[in-house]
Amino acid sequence: MTRRVSVTGLLALVLRRLSRRPLRTGLTLGGIALAMFLYTMVDAMRAGVREATEAGPDDRTLVVYRENRWCPFTSRLPQWYLDRIEGIDGVVSATPMAIRVSNCRASLDVVTFRGVPVESFLANPPTGFTLLAGETTAFRGRGDAALVGEPLAARRGLRVGDRFEAAGISVVVAGIFASDEPQDRNAAYVPLAFLQESATRGSTGGEVTQFNVVVDSSDRLEAVAAEIDRLFEHEVHPTSTRPERAFVARAARDIVALVGFASLLGWAALGAVFGLVANAMVLAMQDRVRDHAVMRTLGFTGGVLTLLAAAEGLLLGLVGGALGASAAWMVLTVGRFSLTVEGANLELASDPAIALTGIGIAIAVGVVAGLVPGLQSARGEIVANLRTT
Amino acid sequence: MNGTTSTGEDNATPLIECRDLTREFRRGEQVIRPLDGLDLELAAGSFVALMGPSGSGKSTLLNLIAGIDRPTRGTLRIGGRDLGRLSGRDLADWRSRQIGYIFQLYNLVPVLTAYENVELPLLLHGLSRGERHRRVSEALARVGLVDRHRHFPRQLSGGQEQRVAIARAIVTDPAILLADEPTGDLDHDSAAAVMDLLTSLHRELGKTLVVVTHDPAVAERAQRTLHLEKGRLVAAAEITR
Ligand SMILES: Nc1ncnc2c1ncn2[C@@H]1O[C@H](COP(=O)(O)OP(=O)(O)O)[C@@H](O)[C@H]1O
Ligand SMILES: [Mg+2]
Repeated sequence: MTRRVSVTGLLALVLRRLSRRPLRTGLTLGGIALAMFLYTMVDAMRAGVREATEAGPDDRTLVVYRENRWCPFTSRLPQWYLDRIEGIDGVVSATPMAIRVSNCRASLDVVTFRGVPVESFLANPPTGFTLLAGETTAFRGRGDAALVGEPLAARRGLRVGDRFEAAGISVVVAGIFASDEPQDRNAAYVPLAFLQESATRGSTGGEVTQFNVVVDSSDRLEAVAAEIDRLFEHEVHPTSTRPERAFVARAARDIVALVGFASLLGWAALGAVFGLVANAMVLAMQDRVRDHAVMRTLGFTGGVLTLLAAAEGLLLGLVGGALGASAAWMVLTVGRFSLTVEGANLELASDPAIALTGIGIAIAVGVVAGLVPGLQSARGEIVANLRTT
Repeated sequence: MNGTTSTGEDNATPLIECRDLTREFRRGEQVIRPLDGLDLELAAGSFVALMGPSGSGKSTLLNLIAGIDRPTRGTLRIGGRDLGRLSGRDLADWRSRQIGYIFQLYNLVPVLTAYENVELPLLLHGLSRGERHRRVSEALARVGLVDRHRHFPRQLSGGQEQRVAIARAIVTDPAILLADEPTGDLDHDSAAAVMDLLTSLHRELGKTLVVVTHDPAVAERAQRTLHLEKGRLVAAAEITR
């Protein structure tokens, strides 16, 4: 005896069972979407931390900071250190940098100004530096010109020619650039002298916050760092030099710890939401024990009923997961969030792979939540199940 | 629904044949035996009423004949096929072709319209949408509900719900219709209408009809009335018209 079921008819049945219980279906979808949203946001934060703080094989940048200082307000180094750093074997380029932030605490909307010597910056731009709009001549031309990283410009709605103010500093956007480095693209580059003049009273010209040093090979990062610190060990302003990502990890360690904690909370919330959703789906299926017994009386096999339940869970997981992932993607793309603390940037990045994994999880939860009670009602005795009310 | 039963049996050999049919349920230590060594033969195309006090095993017998329950002991042959030897899948397939089951409380799927409820068993037969539509419309016309296709069960009266359930039972053109107290929850007029309908299905389409009932008026329509008591047939009470 072979059986040819009507696939489209059964699919229509699945859709009807969902669409004719709009409140229940809506709440379930909402729950899955919320869980998915949480998952994507938490993972975006973790991805941001990873990108900004985990050392990669191609890292060649060192940050020279004032020893025992962690905030750009307190790190001050004489600009004349530059010549001696450049003299060290293995150093490709060194950029003195004055840093001003609109807010030294952790915040989602901090503007970081990086004052750099214009010519040497343009000669040795950060890795992946590409000008998207504007011109470097404008940057050279006026003292208060700024090259603004693309995420920062997007967040603030800045265009070339706009004037904007933050941290008591007023600049004109000369260009907007993209970069591979989260630390660069969330900053506004301005001429060093301009930032030194605008600096708060008490600080004098000729001081910078840090030096960014590019080394010829990532193998020599540690050696060059040690050499730099040894060089200034007995100066009034001793230095502490680290690979850039390690520096960010240290500067932002509070926020990294917080992100870790938020991830835990996120995972817990995710588990709770999925638990509730699964529970709701299980209850929905148990409401159908009698319906399923009736359908088995009509000749439906347990296998077909189980497949129908699984298909329903799959649809809920897919649609709810896609809704939540798109919502998270929109928030991340429109918001271009960057967690900034003490001048270090952690970007919240939307990664399609994360969303796909999440939707996969949502589908798996949906299928299991449909499958388990589906199997139960498909296996139990028809006669006993018919008696349930 | 061409009016012939598809089992190819003539009335001389019984369509339904029970031998020593026994069904036991275990409740902890206690064994309940609603059917106790039943021997019974029902002819193809007959209309049989099954009566007896509550708990006497009527539904249990009907469920065994419907193939939704399996005997603990004994054999049940329908159309020459020993149901006890069929696998779960094959039994389900057999049900979908041979049995139309009508419940006391209709048991329509609440989220489906009358049309969709009647269409449900056809989804297992690999028919085209058009063919399904033709059969569902025909079945709903047969039970007098041409204008209720889009109604949900909650929008129908009890009598109408039961008629939709009957349409669902006959839409696959099964040889056997089984009804467990089909009028037990209906008022007098609706009950009479449902029984008129079932009787016509027996008379005009030649369905073998087994109806469990408490209502003597229902039993009166049947060709044969059986009495069950404590899981056994009471021979003295059998009536043949
Ligand atoms: N699935 C079951 N589990 C346990 N006991 C059952 C089950 N089905 C029926 N019974 C018992 O079998 C007896 C006969 O039930 P049934 O056939 O439904 O009687 P009725 O003649 O009223 O239809 C009753 O005592 C009932 O409680
Ligand atoms: Mg009963």
